[in-house]
Amino acid sequence: MLSRIRQRVDLFWAWIGVLLAVIAVGAYAVFLILSKGLVVTNLTDGSPWGLWIILDLSCIGVAAGAFSLSALTYLMGQEQYRPLARVAVFVGILAYSGALMSLILDIGRPDRFWHGWFFWNIHSMLWEVTMCITLYFLVLTLEVFPMVVEMPVFDRFPWLRNLGHRVHSFAPTLAIVGMGLSLLHQSSLGGTYGVVVGRAALFRPTMPLLFIVSAVAGGIAFSVHVTLIVQWITGRLLVPARVLLQAGQMSGAVLLIYLYMRFWDTTAGNYGYVPGRTEAFTTLSAGPFALTFWTWEILLGGLLAAILLIRARFTGSIAMLLIGSGLTVAGMVFNRYHTTLLAFTEPLSVNPPVTDPLVTDYTPAWTEWASAFMIIAILTMLFSLGMRYLPAFKGIQVDRPLEERVPRLVQGR
Amino acid sequence: MSEHTRRLDRREFVKLMGALGISVAAGGWVWNEFWAHDDPVGEANAHGGSGPYWAMVIDLGACIGCERCVFACQATNDTRTGHLWNIVLRDEATFGSPVFLPRPCMHCEHAPCVEVCPVKATYHREDGIVVMDYQRCIGCRYCMVACPYGARVFNWEESDEENPMTPTWGTVENPRRPRGVAEKCTFCAHRIDAGLERGIRPGYDRAATPACCVICPTEARVFGDLRDPNSPASRKMAGRQAVVLRPELGTKPRVYYLLPT
Repeated sequence: MLSRIRQRVDLFWAWIGVLLAVIAVGAYAVFLILSKGLVVTNLTDGSPWGLWIILDLSCIGVAAGAFSLSALTYLMGQEQYRPLARVAVFVGILAYSGALMSLILDIGRPDRFWHGWFFWNIHSMLWEVTMCITLYFLVLTLEVFPMVVEMPVFDRFPWLRNLGHRVHSFAPTLAIVGMGLSLLHQSSLGGTYGVVVGRAALFRPTMPLLFIVSAVAGGIAFSVHVTLIVQWITGRLLVPARVLLQAGQMSGAVLLIYLYMRFWDTTAGNYGYVPGRTEAFTTLSAGPFALTFWTWEILLGGLLAAILLIRARFTGSIAMLLIGSGLTVAGMVFNRYHTTLLAFTEPLSVNPPVTDPLVTDYTPAWTEWASAFMIIAILTMLFSLGMRYLPAFKGIQVDRPLEERVPRLVQGR
Repeated sequence: MSEHTRRLDRREFVKLMGALGISVAAGGWVWNEFWAHDDPVGEANAHGGSGPYWAMVIDLGACIGCERCVFACQATNDTRTGHLWNIVLRDEATFGSPVFLPRPCMHCEHAPCVEVCPVKATYHREDGIVVMDYQRCIGCRYCMVACPYGARVFNWEESDEENPMTPTWGTVENPRRPRGVAEKCTFCAHRIDAGLERGIRPGYDRAATPACCVICPTEARVFGDLRDPNSPASRKMAGRQAVVLRPELGTKPRVYYLLPT
């Protein structure tokens, strides 16, 4: 018994050690970026946005589980989702921190990050995104605060805990505000691309809708996915399998709606020859992005993911749920990747036909990779620590060795 | 529950109203201080407006692709090699013989860069020229994503490059921009302003005219006020077929290209 506990403790800290190593490498890259400027990245005038923006969009996407599940729990009275909503909110605040970190790295003047709050351009989608992300980060902080003060460390400060309870009594209000802000800016992130009139690949009125719908599917799927993994590793039951399967099915249904919308957007939006957009679609479906587009975005991360998620509920298969939710998230991340890079792979100008100087190619530099992995490692570390120490995620201990847990989880009982 | 549904008493109501009044007053002050003065969409100088309508007219038939305008721009505005404000694109495929297309900033009336900038660091001046506030720019590069003409460049690093074009092609008139901000062609706004202050006319007088137009050996590139029928730009355009780049986007550029006759 004792040796097993020792072993588990060691494994946990070994895991944290690995993450710290990744963070250390990333910290060096961040040092280079901040001291030398963005010249140490592979970003250019021709493709000014890259890996960090993809990371930012993916983070915001996976965080959508927080508002969707909070709304289900606190506004629509679906109480069974409460434990999953807690995980989702925790994922949410971490993911938003990640998004903010990658944006701080991405902007050329991190010292001026606060300008967005003082110099408003209400016409700018990015201003809207800035305001909403900041405000929603505040909402998430308020939602997580009661969970944090439940920790035994805060036993000495009963007033803090009382404050936590007080804040928690506003959960439905926070859910409404959070839903409003999320609906606004998940969509306006799509809008950020959708309003760019000069880039035909992006200039589509459907972008905000596609972003919000795919984020809801991906966000719920991500929460389900990490809950399953945490349950598997720790042997604790956080969320009943029934609820996870239900949430997964919901995510699958939303994913189907998304695929339907995407299908018509692509079909009707590319009918005939639209300068720039037709070339972009060819690049996506038959060019350098074709492999990742068809396999990850459409087949695996789209159709198969939706089928698995929906089937899982009927068969009660946790394995299907685990794979399906993972694929959904992967599909969403690949979508953000394609959307971002496609914009800069296509020539800007088709009239007059002077294309060569404006076509660009971009592969992230090691500094970008290292700092992106650093952000992911920081989030993973905080998530691991939170799952270990926050009383909200204590769950029910099902004390069985790891090997025995696997088949049990697969059977979904 | 009763705590939430309790009614306000008079004292609380007065307090609340007082707080509301103070917030509105403070909000008004902040609004005036930070936001009210700008005209982000920038139609003040557009059609029906008054004052000069600055424009650049480029004769594609006269341009020989010597790139002196590129050199003069780099010298005058102290831009870095590879991140130029003004470039000359070359197209041979379309007509068989080479055609050169100089591309400065278009100074669009409906400038996508101005509309998307989250902090109004890029804006229309009173006279319609699109300029940047380098002290306000946060370096998000959304303007570079949005610009349909690729006319914006970024300061990826602090530049200590010696300007290769001075003193042969001009002298530096524009201070170098700091690291981490976007930048672009200004129609040599500093020359226009200094000229108008001295009472000389942009387009007519060399000292008040953009450096690229002054240096052009074939007069392929001229600048002036399109509301003044005698300005070099108006005279150049008269009787010629003028086009703008990507008109379908509705950006209404202030740079006109004359097709070869």
